[in-house]
Amino acid sequence: MRQNPDAPRAAFEQELLSAIEAVHRFAVHLTRDPSQAEDLVQETYLRALAHRDQYQPGTNCRAWLFTICRNAFLKGARHSVREVATEDAALEALAAAGVHAGMAGTDPEGAVFERPELADAIRLALEKLPEEFRTAVVLVDMEDQSYAEAARVLGVPVGTVRSRLFRGRRLLQGDLLAYAEDAGLLARREENT
Amino acid sequence: MLSCREVIEQLWDYLDGELPPEQMEHIAEHLAACARCYPQYQFEFAFLEAVARQPQTAPRPPRELVERLHRLVSAT
Repeated sequence: MRQNPDAPRAAFEQELLSAIEAVHRFAVHLTRDPSQAEDLVQETYLRALAHRDQYQPGTNCRAWLFTICRNAFLKGARHSVREVATEDAALEALAAAGVHAGMAGTDPEGAVFERPELADAIRLALEKLPEEFRTAVVLVDMEDQSYAEAARVLGVPVGTVRSRLFRGRRLLQGDLLAYAEDAGLLARREENT
Repeated sequence: MLSCREVIEQLWDYLDGELPPEQMEHIAEHLAACARCYPQYQFEFAFLEAVARQPQTAPRPPRELVERLHRLVSAT
């Protein structure tokens, strides 16, 4: 059977187009500005098309686009990748257990996270996170990328992604629970947590 | 049998499906039998689900941008 020579090109274009929403979400989280996000998405697609030969068919196209997007963001904004001291990931996990211990008398199963009122609070809490932590949370928790894929996007070892992710989750969780308490969605936790 | 501390240290890795299959199984067995760790698993699960729902409420790309990208992709 004869191969359609345009098939790989069409598949690539389809992958690019189906990722627009995800890349836009990622750009909004990076820039925290809708208008800058639009420019960044366009820049990402221009770069992707200019370097299409670097994309390997069958690999994770979204992760490839996220990488381009973040690199364009860092270059355009002249951001330097600031290393934020992160505690060991295992310590972060144990610290999260401490948060949970404080919930024993109020909401041990996290029913508060089901509340629709929390959606805006999550967005705002995410925006407050330092970029390193926010990007790890967005890639893994919202865009469903594995630790290894996120590590490739960010150009850091998997262990660094894990530390940043866990730290970001813990900060996010703390912020959300504080918001839920202030909004009366959750009884005040115990003082010692 | 894993200790509670070992399970809690790996709980997020477990929820992310990032552990080797054998370790995933050990943690699942522990959670099924441990009244102390299981509520924390439910708590973290509910938290991660709430964060994962966030893209559904995120602003969509403006139509003009989507149309511009479609034109860009088909023109090259």
